[in-house]
Amino acid sequence: MAHILSDITGRHVFSLTLLGSMLAMTGIAEAELPQPYHKDGRIGYVLTERHWAIYETEGATECPQGMNSRGSRDLFAERFPEDSGVERTVVDTRLQLEGYQFHTKTSEDEYKSLPYYEAQSSVSYGLNLDGKVDDNDFTSPDGEEGIDNQLYRALGCIAGYRDDGPYWFFENDFMINNGYNRWMIELSGVDDLVNDDDVTVKTYRGLDPLFTDATGEGFVAGGTQRVDTRWGKSFMEEVQGRIVDGVLMTDPIEQAKIPWSQPGVSGGYHLFNGLQFNLNLTSQEAKGLMGGYVDVDQFNHRFRTNWAMHHQNYGQSASGSEYSALRRLADGYPDPETGANTAISSAVEVTLTQVYIVHPDEQAVTSQETGTQGFQIDP
Amino acid sequence: MYLNKFLAVIYVVASASVVSAASSTAAEASDDMKYWQSADSGAQEAYLEEEVPPGIQVVATALDGPVYANSEGKTLYTWPLIALRNGSTGDRKDGPSNCTDEVLRTEIGFMSPYPAGLVLPYADQGITCAQVWPPVLAPEGAEEVGKWTLVERENGAMQWAYDGFPLYTSDLDKQPGDVLGGTKINSGGDGGVVRVPAGPPADIPPGFDVISSTTGRLLVSENEYSVYTWDGDENNVSNCVAECLVDWTPVRAPQITADSGDWTIIRHPSGINQWAFRGRPLYTHNNDTRSRSFDGSDVPGWHNVYTQRAVTPPAEFTVQDAAFGGQVLADSRGRTIYLYNCRDDSIAQLACDHPNSPQEYRMAICGDGDPEVCQETFPYVVAEPDAKSESSLWSVMVINPNTGRPAASNEDGALHVWAYRNRPVYTYSGDKEPGVTNGDGFGEFIGTRNGYKAFVLRDIFQNNEFRR
Repeated sequence: MAHILSDITGRHVFSLTLLGSMLAMTGIAEAELPQPYHKDGRIGYVLTERHWAIYETEGATECPQGMNSRGSRDLFAERFPEDSGVERTVVDTRLQLEGYQFHTKTSEDEYKSLPYYEAQSSVSYGLNLDGKVDDNDFTSPDGEEGIDNQLYRALGCIAGYRDDGPYWFFENDFMINNGYNRWMIELSGVDDLVNDDDVTVKTYRGLDPLFTDATGEGFVAGGTQRVDTRWGKSFMEEVQGRIVDGVLMTDPIEQAKIPWSQPGVSGGYHLFNGLQFNLNLTSQEAKGLMGGYVDVDQFNHRFRTNWAMHHQNYGQSASGSEYSALRRLADGYPDPETGANTAISSAVEVTLTQVYIVHPDEQAVTSQETGTQGFQIDP
Repeated sequence: MYLNKFLAVIYVVASASVVSAASSTAAEASDDMKYWQSADSGAQEAYLEEEVPPGIQVVATALDGPVYANSEGKTLYTWPLIALRNGSTGDRKDGPSNCTDEVLRTEIGFMSPYPAGLVLPYADQGITCAQVWPPVLAPEGAEEVGKWTLVERENGAMQWAYDGFPLYTSDLDKQPGDVLGGTKINSGGDGGVVRVPAGPPADIPPGFDVISSTTGRLLVSENEYSVYTWDGDENNVSNCVAECLVDWTPVRAPQITADSGDWTIIRHPSGINQWAFRGRPLYTHNNDTRSRSFDGSDVPGWHNVYTQRAVTPPAEFTVQDAAFGGQVLADSRGRTIYLYNCRDDSIAQLACDHPNSPQEYRMAICGDGDPEVCQETFPYVVAEPDAKSESSLWSVMVINPNTGRPAASNEDGALHVWAYRNRPVYTYSGDKEPGVTNGDGFGEFIGTRNGYKAFVLRDIFQNNEFRR
């Protein structure tokens, strides 16, 4: 069991399990680590890499018309050309654009004079979320039919979401470096990490930094994460699953809230309806896809509150035009009143690294929660 | 820690306090007062006296501690240069003032992605930087003293500078103690080039620092780790021994030193010298993994330490745990409170976050230019009839919600709303329950440039990087 140690200044906190893993990295002490990692039928993994699943080919044949060019500067130049002969004011230009960014409410694109390119490929990464094979579905690179990933169709030709694009890179970087985004899964009831027809999967938000290798850029198994039971309750979910030939598959989680925020913003997240996992498990990592119908309004809200128009311009997109595309292609969870779909099928490529999850009753008794969720100010 | 670095430091300094420092009251130690002090507390940050020119004084303030002020008591500000996305503005250290008498007409284009040359909302009013930020002029024959130097303005007038930065007053400040033009709380460059109140150094021993926060002046170690006090101690006596030392480490004091002002050296039972502040022995929390932490104060009986806390907000406000990992100020229903931030992109980087400034900026963000949508999206926090605040930071303003500007109290549709630092506060329609902060970052540059930020009291994952 993990035990918190502190040096005299209290600045550095290590655990014995961390120390064990550090020794393991030297290649001399692995046999001394507790084996198997799913001791007592329990194994945890913490998220260490995350990207929206965008299927890309060499030459970008899925985007035959090229990439979208709808950054903020493009929109500004389209709507307010420098040579218009009209004096351009802050109120009539910049603030018009900012208002548009934060108040787009329809699938109608206000900037329709600029083309919007959807991905044209019939191939996509993803999961068959609805168990059906429909006309709009994709085929996976492995040949599986019925893949649901309309988010790829909507965003696949935006440079920011593609390999090494700014959203691709920075959203993963922020996930790693902003502790708010620490997210993990824990499997319990595991008899066999290769085949087990009944395991329980729980999700948590963690409290601790990731355990890196000597480069500081890779992640190694054997770290510890304390469960955030005070502030992280809304990130806790539980679902049943099974392991088949080393692949974890789960039933859908009705709705999962996943932390997804950049530094400086308090509480960005995505809402996944019907979230499922398809992860290749080893004792060191869980790698694969998670998929679900992501709530479109929350997707847009998170995007525009996390990315300034300056950054959106880097990504060659704008929240307003993205929102219109997502609404247009949304394929699930119709609004009971309007019938309009509120969520869009999606998939996320993830790597989770094995971690020892420390629950409150296992934590060294160091700080006690107040238990106060809110209180009146008494002057 | 301090022992190694400051073993031979003799800590004897001249110090002063605007109001003599009072020991913490019982109320200040209770859980619901962890962030604030009562209005009658009298606790104020002590400071080191510096030589100042004639007419310059030190004034106590509610949030930023002691600040320098002119003879009328108006707070003095500097405008340090900051690099924005496409250029820099502000004053360079030991350079001239860039806040001039030039009429401001267009944006400078330093904030991406907008081009330069867009005409400002107040372009036809002949406004200059120096009108909004009057330079602190020195009388003829004035002589430089200590950190106070003179810089020549374009018109030949001499302007006082402190620590190399030209000084200004704010047209928003009306009475001594007002600090409405800026705060000492850090600001990122994307929030614009802000003004910072100038003040004397805090009277703290080497090895400590004071950080301006949303709840007051937080005492920390020199590397910004929190220090704590314990209710189990007695006046200048530490009772933290044995098991207590597993989680807590006394803050060591030098062997050769002397008591001064709020600070005393006590002998911990283990035999080491330990710092005490206002009679309370100080500790670090061994399990704080991040700087500026409040984690230690979750342990019953333990408290973060401030040189002065902000005075308690009005009783209509509450504190809520928030899912982002921390606590926020909230209204009586538990809905998170938001502050609106705005700075234009003129060369002078004037604030547009006040009801007297152009409202078009805020209206664009909260309502796409429609005041009614604004009131739905970010409604004002309406004050109870006859509501009053004991904190000078809070007040009730009368606002015309359709214009966003101050109104007469008998004006049709006028609202009596709560204001913090003379600016209305808001809630967000997307927050459906207590502890939710969905409105945070709503606006340009995550709400720091033209938008809304949650009133954050504590943020465990982001080192309590207090927002302005």
